[in-house]
Amino acid sequence: MYAAELVEVTKRFGPVLANDGIDLAVARGEVHAVVGENGAGKSTLMSILYGLHRPDAGEIRRDGRTVALRSPADAIRHGLGMVHQRFRLFPGLTVAENVVIGAEPVRAGRIDRAAAARKVAALSERYGLRADPSALVGGLPVGVRQRVEILRALYREAEILILDEPTAVLTPGETDRLFEVLRTVAATGVSILLVTHKLSEVMAIGDRVTVLRQGRVTGRFTTAETNADELVNAMIGRSLAPSAPKRARPVREDPVLEVRDLTIHDADGVARLSEVSLSVHPGEIVGLAGVAGSGQRELIDSVTGLRGAVPGVFLAGTPVLAGRDPRVAYVPEDRHGRATAPGMSVAENILMGAQRELSSRWTLPTAAVKRRARDLVDRFAISAASVDVPISALSGGNAQKAVLARELTRPSRVVVAEEPTQGVDVGVRERVHALLLAARDDGAAVLLQSSELSELRDLADRILVLYEGRVVAEFPGDATETDIGRAMTGATA
Amino acid sequence: MNVFEWSFLAGVLTATAPVLLAALGGLLCQVVGVFNIALEGQLLWGAFVAVVVSDLTGSAWAGVAGAVAATVLFSALLSIPAVGLRADPIVIAVGLNLLALGLTAFLMRQIFGSGGTYSSPDLTGLPDLGELGLDVPVLREQSPLVPVALLLVVVMATWLTRSRSGLRLRAAGQHLEAAEAVGLPVAAYRHGVTLAAGALCGLAGAQLSLGNVTLFSEGMSAGRGWIAVVAVMLSGVLPYRLLLACLLFGVAEAFGFRLQGAGLPQQAADAAPYVITLAALVLAALWRRKRSHEHA
Amino acid sequence: MTAPALARRVVVSAPVVAVAGALALTTLVMLVVGVDPTLAYPALIRGAVADGNLEYTVAAFVPTLGMALAFALPLRAGEFNLGGDGQLAAGGVAAAALALLVPLPPVVAVVLPLVAGALAGGLVAAVAAPLSTRLKIPAIVSTLLISTPAVALASYLVRFPLAEAGTGIAQTPTLPDAAHLPFLGGSGYVTIGLPLIVVLTGLWLYADGRTVTGYEIRATGQNREFARYGGVRVDRVAAVALAGGGAFAGLSGALIVLGPPYRFVDGALTAPGYTFTAVAAVLLASARPVVVPLTVALLTVLQVGGQGMEREAGVPSQLTQIVQGLIIVIVAVLATLQARRRR
Ligand SMILES: Nc1ncnc2c1ncn2[C@@H]1O[C@H](COP(=O)(O)OP(=O)(O)O)[C@@H](O)[C@H]1O
Ligand SMILES: [Mg+2]
Repeated sequence: MYAAELVEVTKRFGPVLANDGIDLAVARGEVHAVVGENGAGKSTLMSILYGLHRPDAGEIRRDGRTVALRSPADAIRHGLGMVHQRFRLFPGLTVAENVVIGAEPVRAGRIDRAAAARKVAALSERYGLRADPSALVGGLPVGVRQRVEILRALYREAEILILDEPTAVLTPGETDRLFEVLRTVAATGVSILLVTHKLSEVMAIGDRVTVLRQGRVTGRFTTAETNADELVNAMIGRSLAPSAPKRARPVREDPVLEVRDLTIHDADGVARLSEVSLSVHPGEIVGLAGVAGSGQRELIDSVTGLRGAVPGVFLAGTPVLAGRDPRVAYVPEDRHGRATAPGMSVAENILMGAQRELSSRWTLPTAAVKRRARDLVDRFAISAASVDVPISALSGGNAQKAVLARELTRPSRVVVAEEPTQGVDVGVRERVHALLLAARDDGAAVLLQSSELSELRDLADRILVLYEGRVVAEFPGDATETDIGRAMTGATA
Repeated sequence: MNVFEWSFLAGVLTATAPVLLAALGGLLCQVVGVFNIALEGQLLWGAFVAVVVSDLTGSAWAGVAGAVAATVLFSALLSIPAVGLRADPIVIAVGLNLLALGLTAFLMRQIFGSGGTYSSPDLTGLPDLGELGLDVPVLREQSPLVPVALLLVVVMATWLTRSRSGLRLRAAGQHLEAAEAVGLPVAAYRHGVTLAAGALCGLAGAQLSLGNVTLFSEGMSAGRGWIAVVAVMLSGVLPYRLLLACLLFGVAEAFGFRLQGAGLPQQAADAAPYVITLAALVLAALWRRKRSHEHA
Repeated sequence: MTAPALARRVVVSAPVVAVAGALALTTLVMLVVGVDPTLAYPALIRGAVADGNLEYTVAAFVPTLGMALAFALPLRAGEFNLGGDGQLAAGGVAAAALALLVPLPPVVAVVLPLVAGALAGGLVAAVAAPLSTRLKIPAIVSTLLISTPAVALASYLVRFPLAEAGTGIAQTPTLPDAAHLPFLGGSGYVTIGLPLIVVLTGLWLYADGRTVTGYEIRATGQNREFARYGGVRVDRVAAVALAGGGAFAGLSGALIVLGPPYRFVDGALTAPGYTFTAVAAVLLASARPVVVPLTVALLTVLQVGGQGMEREAGVPSQLTQIVQGLIIVIVAVLATLQARRRR
């Protein structure tokens, strides 16, 4: 009998079939890896198991009995705990409060803070999950926040612990420590569902592994009896394409993008960037690696002008313009944050930034705007019913292609791309990569920020590593993930 | 001590009480992440129902109870669409404020036969604390709802920080997804709190029409619900700071009365509370900005 | 689209459902308090469109449409302007003051006060812009807070410095003849304010859909981060939208004052409730600007008809405020239901 089973689970989001008849079973005390490319449906499946989404079809069994999970509250009652890809913590509450909330120790009608702190401290001690119970979560580094989420599940005595891409925000060292914790936890009989798209991790900790591709199960393996190639095949449906041909070193022209001694403080006076210097030349892709929150946001906002006129950033030798420097093409990470206006049409979204050039004086040439949008939709193979539908009607991958279409057709020699393939499927990912390489070959200077080292290694000519707001290392594009990973922890090479 | 000063203080308290009661409701909503700008309409509705019920039954306390019940019902018009159906709470509130204005003016004419202001010897107001035996300066001529309002500040502050339900409410307002993930029934909290805010606005209305005065006049809430909204914005969701913000308004209004007595035009008195509240809002925002810029 | 299909789409469209729902609920209120709807509604219709009344309805359409623009323009940029009353009063008093105090030649005597009114209204509204963009004080709160003092100031000016001597009534003297808005055709109510506001509405519709500024305003309203990222100077766009809205309100105030009875009567600008009738109309148009003139016309008929209903059937005209409030609530509910169905 399995601790938990998902049977024939199907889930649809509008046009997207996120999960298509998925079967998955996890045994007691097992570490079960769930792998698949971005957009394969892993998070959706885990959310269904945790009661966050209701499946359109299929059922969930706990210890062999069918259960209805209408909400996380139901899931918690059935012994499930989840560490979310985007943490679900209360920034204004303490570590202890975040852990005990929902099952708080009470004495005489009041929360027994002492007991809460004690219990949390005992748990951290036992599993080696260090966290100060009285610290406010809002001020904690990501690694510690993740521990709080794990502590929360353990406090509730979860028998099945789901972790959705826990290592995406961790340095390799932190990842190793997490895996130790997970092994300890599994040894007590807790089943662990570990979502990842990194094969090395699967091989390192998984007992068994289920592979998803485009919402379907494409492979089930026992790690001891499989190898990375087999997994890759199942993940992407063929063997890994040889990485993009790295160009021979271009003849060096002067850099188009130059950052000199850039230091930036946040509202609380903490330095977010310290004396950062870098340059990007025409015809090269410079990769930007680093754990989340190492200063990437501040650097990119400075380079694009969105942070205002910051001293020390130069485009083609002149200071960056405040607001949004039109000389930079910029593909932002969060499509719903700044990259699109969901309620506006595809044409209007593609127009943004070019509205003044396309217009003579006041009037917007509506027909020309649409013609141009249609043209780009064709050229970038965006599947959209028409350019008049709201961009929110497009799938994530097509919306991303629309963003790229808009940005890469700007008359600019600098391209800044931020997690350009986050949440898109394999086909779109390859298309995006091809577009960035083409831009480079056309002589653009590309700054590429990505949390996927494999992406950086596939595309970048050089890789810079940010750590606590400093550039701590520079690698050639073919450096090993181990070396880059080590630099991301701040360890000097 | 000068009697005049005592009376000024009493005036401040009288002016503060209805705003404070409504603002406590707004604060509760803010805690769980509902931006409630329907306080103005609810306050007016509460004031109206209090007068109608008191007039009908001859009991001010029945008026208070009626106002609370009726305003809870009224606030369901906010909670059901805005919380249950996730309609835009701002638009709903704009509609409800207008609805309250129209309903009270319409029903007033239907029930009392004329518009404008209704007062009558049959209409019983809330007793003074002095009559109830609490013969101390400042409080002597206040209704019992005034100390209740002040007490509620303390109760709410303690409850929100110390109790289990208080913690959960605060959490639910901080991060919706996180609250869902730990199994908190956020929607139920939001419904409950919106209705509770209705109850508080009912009290506020009753205090306005049966405590501060004993009459109902069209639009008598006169922006107090909006001042309460501002007080909530100034409070940083802390009940004691909310009290301070409401007192500021009370001082402004009491001061306005005195200005009028001193011969300044009534328009200055009308404008004073708004000007002062807005100034406080701006100063608070500037101060916050300055503090964060000092570091940068 | 075939004719029946089009008809079906119109009938189940949000505005129609909202108005029908609001009227149904209002009828319920009538029945509860013992008003006979079969007397009230015909009286309402007659009050609005019976000859003689129709002219008055058309006259009331002008400031209501102006106030609708005052609310709609900032709303496109994502700012709620609820301070229409203050902007209206400021515009009215500025126009009256200029017309009374400065002797002006014909034509200029009409044009300058109108411009002054628009400027005054725009100025009052523009105060909210930096509060919103720099200090994060929502415009919905600040415009409202500024409104009452602005109304109070106008009221003070009309009662004291600008008051008509000797009457004791809170109003200015009659404006000089040169400042009177000419009537349209043979009407005794409808002035050239009507074509003026209609043309301005047309210009706004054109600007909204077909100009760079309109596009940038809409982008700012849809997703401010997106607009900023695209190089739009969002703070300035928000300020322009708020000031523009205020200017429409101020112009409406000036149009009222320069029309019959050609003076600023204290309270006469704000008492008819143009501001919130307009808010309801704009929300009823549910983000389709072209529909705004139609919804304004509909709600003006209701508003003016309400007064006729009160005169003729003794049913308090405040009933129309109930209808407006309900319309707004129902529109908001329908909007979410539709958004959910689309997903
Ligand atoms: N809430 C949602 N609404 C619409 N589409 C969604 C939603 N969540 C996920 N999707 C879509 O479902 C697919 C699977 O997403 P997800 O489960 O997050 O993949 P993974 O975690 O494997 O990267 C993607 O195409 C994604 O865009
Ligand atoms: Mg995922």
